[in-house]
Amino acid sequence: MSDTRPSSASPAFDPYTIARPDPALLKYYVIVSFLAGPAFIVPLIPLLCKYYTLRYHFDDKGISMSWGVLFRREILLTYRRIQDIHLTRNILQRWMGLANVSIQTASGAASAEMAIEGILQAEELRDFLYHQMRGARGLAPLDAKGAEGTTAGTAGAPSADEDEALRLLGEIRDTLVRLAAREKGPP
Amino acid sequence: MKDQVERASRWIYRGVWAVLVRWFRVPEKPPTLPTPPGEEAVSFRPAEGFLRYLKLKFWIVLTLVDGAVLVGWIVVTAALPWLGVILALPALVIAVFPDILAYIAIHLRYDTTWYVITRRSLRIRRGIWIIHETTITFENIQNITVMQGPIERFFGIANVVVETAGGGGRVKEQHGGQIVSGHTGLMEGVSNAAEIRDLILRHVRQTQTGGLGDEMEHAARPAPAAAWTAAHLALLREIRDAAHALGTSST
Repeated sequence: MSDTRPSSASPAFDPYTIARPDPALLKYYVIVSFLAGPAFIVPLIPLLCKYYTLRYHFDDKGISMSWGVLFRREILLTYRRIQDIHLTRNILQRWMGLANVSIQTASGAASAEMAIEGILQAEELRDFLYHQMRGARGLAPLDAKGAEGTTAGTAGAPSADEDEALRLLGEIRDTLVRLAAREKGPP
Repeated sequence: MKDQVERASRWIYRGVWAVLVRWFRVPEKPPTLPTPPGEEAVSFRPAEGFLRYLKLKFWIVLTLVDGAVLVGWIVVTAALPWLGVILALPALVIAVFPDILAYIAIHLRYDTTWYVITRRSLRIRRGIWIIHETTITFENIQNITVMQGPIERFFGIANVVVETAGGGGRVKEQHGGQIVSGHTGLMEGVSNAAEIRDLILRHVRQTQTGGLGDEMEHAARPAPAAAWTAAHLALLREIRDAAHALGTSST
């Protein structure tokens, strides 16, 4: 897993450990709600519910994201299906170090299928996702996984220990050689 | 005199820019894209002609609006001279102040628009209040549109729009008329539209897949012939020889 990480990311950044949004997101939600003035309670409650239940899960194939108290929602998508990545920061988010990383797949909606909020290292996350995206995979050094499909010709000779076919062939050869020797040996 | 004005305006503009960078956290550096070693990402702004194009539009709108303000003021003054005197200063402010703002905004818009192109993908950054960065790999691009109006042709610029799969009500007018939407990347005001188009098109044509993540179907099942390496073949030859030896010795 470690070899799929983009080299450009800071060493401290590991997307696989992201599970919860940063507490700064809570502050951001509160400020945004109070911008609505006296009616702040209307946006505040759903946003608080979202913040406290928001969970991320990154694995080596895709992302899942879930939130909601009464109405629950869970989104799952795979890296390969990502069409475009948008990083949006309004002025308040820039002050607080936050950003929206929106991910789009090839579905009919014009809005983003998944909007990841509350990640402080949004640029690293974006570049991580970029590296997992189609068309960007196979970017030289970071991509040992992406080469899986094409190992055969390029990866050089695999040692007999790793390659089962090679080991089996070796056994067949040894047996044949032994048989041939036995046939030849005693008259 | 003209030099001084120019220097003063440049100084003021740099001040505005510094405020934006420091207080509004507008990124100072152009965006980049991660690239494999030995390959450079090219970051560039729209062409100079785009700035002139925006300014031409600005002057046209300015003439219309300020002309309307002037005509309105003359009508008022002709009808009620004392009201005209009172309104002279506000009218002047209304005529001049938004123009200065709009003029600065044009420059800021130009300076905050960045395009990055590498051999496999592109990134577009746009916006001052809301900074929007779009990343699209060429692999995912479904079609390319090059658009050019008569005035744009005069300035030698064109707009390149790339679209990825999906969409649905794609054009959303935001940020003062700029298209910000998913599934599209808009590179407006570029002078080398044909080059960009060819670069992307070459890549799209080479792509074997539909751009929907479907290439896994090919990659997941490697052709059996491709799975043999030199080591395998050497062993197979030895097996053949051994079997051959067995066959000849037993008969």
